[in-house]
Amino acid sequence: MDTPMNHSEYEQLAAGYVLGALEPDDEHVFQRHLGGCSECEANVRDLEEVVGTLAYAAPPVDPPETLWASIQREIRPERRRVQPLPVRPRRWASPLVARLAAAAAIVAVATLSVWNLNLRDENAGYRDRVTALEQATRLLNEPDTAKVALEGSAAEARATVLAAEAQDRGVLVVENLPPLQRGKVYELWGIPDRGTGRAQKALVFTVPLRRQGVQTLEFQVPIQPDTVFAITEEPGPQGSEQPTTQPILSGEAQTV
Amino acid sequence: MRGKAYRGLQDGQLVQLVVEKDAGALEVLYDRYGKVAYSLARRIVTDEVLAQDVVQEVFLSLWRDARRFDAGRGTLATYLLSMTHHRAVDVVRREENLRRRRTSDEVLEFHPDPAPGVEAEAEAAERRAEVRAALAQLPPAQREALTLAYFGGYTQREVATLVGVPLGTVKTRMAAGMRKLKEALREAGREEQPWTRQ
Repeated sequence: MDTPMNHSEYEQLAAGYVLGALEPDDEHVFQRHLGGCSECEANVRDLEEVVGTLAYAAPPVDPPETLWASIQREIRPERRRVQPLPVRPRRWASPLVARLAAAAAIVAVATLSVWNLNLRDENAGYRDRVTALEQATRLLNEPDTAKVALEGSAAEARATVLAAEAQDRGVLVVENLPPLQRGKVYELWGIPDRGTGRAQKALVFTVPLRRQGVQTLEFQVPIQPDTVFAITEEPGPQGSEQPTTQPILSGEAQTV
Repeated sequence: MRGKAYRGLQDGQLVQLVVEKDAGALEVLYDRYGKVAYSLARRIVTDEVLAQDVVQEVFLSLWRDARRFDAGRGTLATYLLSMTHHRAVDVVRREENLRRRRTSDEVLEFHPDPAPGVEAEAEAAERRAEVRAALAQLPPAQREALTLAYFGGYTQREVATLVGVPLGTVKTRMAAGMRKLKEALREAGREEQPWTRQ
């Protein structure tokens, strides 16, 4: 492994890092350094801008109209059209049964209308949750996924991180986190070097007021074998750039 | 053009609306950056369907977690286009057959704009001219290393093999090339340009 020995070598790795062109060992070395070097962090930020700007050098191609349509479908799922079943006229056993059936139908229609309105609002949320669950399932099926149980002062809460080091992404599964004060959010951090490095923002989330069930949330953050994951309470809605409170839950990725 | 009510809003304001799940705001951001993101993805993955997947993933990622965008770290254009680049490179590495289909010469090749001068997005056209001029000013060896990595998705070691030079030389060329590009693009005075709007 070519371990850089001085700072100019780290500076040189920054270009390959933002281009995603480093070999895995160099990338690992640079990421470890990056967590604690504000100079390299600033350099990476500048070079990321170059990476973004270089996109304009690509020959312009109009995206197909279907592209926005497919994005739109994902964010505002259309209600499924249900084909009505052929209705066969039937004879009621008695006028009373017919009246009861009509009343039941009116109640059912009213209930379904309200339900439908709620469904429309919740569809987008469900879609996100299903995506996160699928990601969790995928990670569970991968051999190098680390399972990290987070523990701490929130005694009734349960939180687990599924972390895929190779992909720098993971899923947080939380349950029974304490309700948040108004204007506060929870923030998940990845902290390299056994929690001694610079914390990396992984995810900002809130706890739904009504539903105290399990939440499954996707995140992306640099992950190393000794990364500590921690959840803190931060000012909302954006969260903080660095933790401002003590973690209520934390745990370290274990090398398997 | 969609979302007339949003047209005057800056990127940062639109992102805030996306945080609140305002689909109209996302649509306007797609109008602003969808084409350049798609063009980049097409250039890297060289496949229409896969390029669409990449761009869809980028905009859905913004939709699902717009709070990840940190205005203090850079512009939204940088955020979206860097993400597009990363995802497209991931795809091209995963789909090995895409790479086998083309040679490194094809990666390096730059086609002229299909209809120069009639492009609706004057801003993007102007930006393109600047970026291409900055690339053209680089020494050929640095440009080659950067282009193979950026548009070809090759790692530094792969670039070294393709070009036939030591890995250390590729690292030096990429670092020097990126530094020069950064300076050239700064000189182009992008801070006055509308695409840096927040």
